[in-house]
Amino acid sequence: MPAETHVERSPMDRQQVFDLIRDRLSDILEVEPSSINEGDSFTDDLEADSLALIELAEALEEELGERSVGFRIEDEDLEDIKTVRDAVDYVLARL
Amino acid sequence: MLPIAVDAMGGDNAPGEIVEGARRAVAEAGAPVVLVGRPDDLAALRGDLDLIEASQVIGMDADPGSSVRTMKDSSLVRAAEAVRDGKAAAMVSAGNTGAAMASALLRMGRIKGVSRPAIATPIPVPGSTPTVLLDAGANAECQAAWLVQFAQMGAVFARERYGVEAPRVGLLSIGEESSKGNPLVKETHALLADPAALALSGARFVGNVEGRDIMTDEVDVVVTDGFTGNVALKTLEGGMRALVRSVLDALGATSVADEALAALMPLYATLDPDQHGGAMLLGVDGVCIISHGSSSATAIVNAVRVAREMVEAGIVERLRAAVAPR
Repeated sequence: MPAETHVERSPMDRQQVFDLIRDRLSDILEVEPSSINEGDSFTDDLEADSLALIELAEALEEELGERSVGFRIEDEDLEDIKTVRDAVDYVLARL
Repeated sequence: MLPIAVDAMGGDNAPGEIVEGARRAVAEAGAPVVLVGRPDDLAALRGDLDLIEASQVIGMDADPGSSVRTMKDSSLVRAAEAVRDGKAAAMVSAGNTGAAMASALLRMGRIKGVSRPAIATPIPVPGSTPTVLLDAGANAECQAAWLVQFAQMGAVFARERYGVEAPRVGLLSIGEESSKGNPLVKETHALLADPAALALSGARFVGNVEGRDIMTDEVDVVVTDGFTGNVALKTLEGGMRALVRSVLDALGATSVADEALAALMPLYATLDPDQHGGAMLLGVDGVCIISHGSSSATAIVNAVRVAREMVEAGIVERLRAAVAPR
């Protein structure tokens, strides 16, 4: 059994997932973390383009892949993730 | 120096012309090169050039974002990873432009403080140094603050690439007056008019310029959004091609054709995109040269040469210093 499956961490709660997404988005979009809210639309409020969302997906996969082996955001699901809240829900459902 | 990673599978003429260009770059420019691509496709071509194996090829018409995510063993992604992992000093590709940008962005990352990378394309100017046009297609929709960063990065590129000490930066619009243009242009004009905007890059804002100014020596860097920049670039390319064709047709029927063509050849060489070494993706944390999809071996030689020059000039560090932190 791979060693990483033995890593025991407490499960992430909703606030921790939101904080993680907000921090990564802040880096990608070069905006202050405090300006990102859970109800924000990626395109309308944060002006994130498709490449920025892919950057976010890759960053989350890298971060969460260590915690939950095989964690992946499917490309076809990206189209349905319209808001920060959608992203938080998606991640929570798959951890 | 680490080798330049050349995407051997990207481009209309890959792998033949690309590998030939890489071999010539070693012989003519003395630049170390490592190919990236399918071993079987390159076995008979590569001679003693080193190879980073990649089993997949991203097509010229593939969706950039999803192809980079799903084709992790593609030559483009592996080339970008080679730069990230310290196995190559820079990457060169004549493949899918959007995928090259996405690969570089996702694997090398952005320079801290850069909102969006931009494609800087040299536009030939007869009798003078080329004008740097950016963004030539990376970001279809832009914000004014991004265009200010494009101006800062374009100025650094003009200085390091062409030795322009104090680059003159123009904002592409539909009239020289500051009142002309769409809301993005007007907002950007106001930001660039602040002397502090370009202070770190040592450049000077000369106001709005028009499309007809791009191929003159009135300006060194022309800034615009990626949609407009790409339209301008393709319009200039098509216009120059049509002009060359019509001049050749007109001369072909005359008795002075040979003499006239000999006199025109140096001008043709000035305007030939293959001589300019391709565009550079500015704002990513590494050197990435994007060549024309129809690149010949000569274009690859020049792209490798530019990549090496930009690495030796430390352009990433200079860009880092010139881009104002938020």
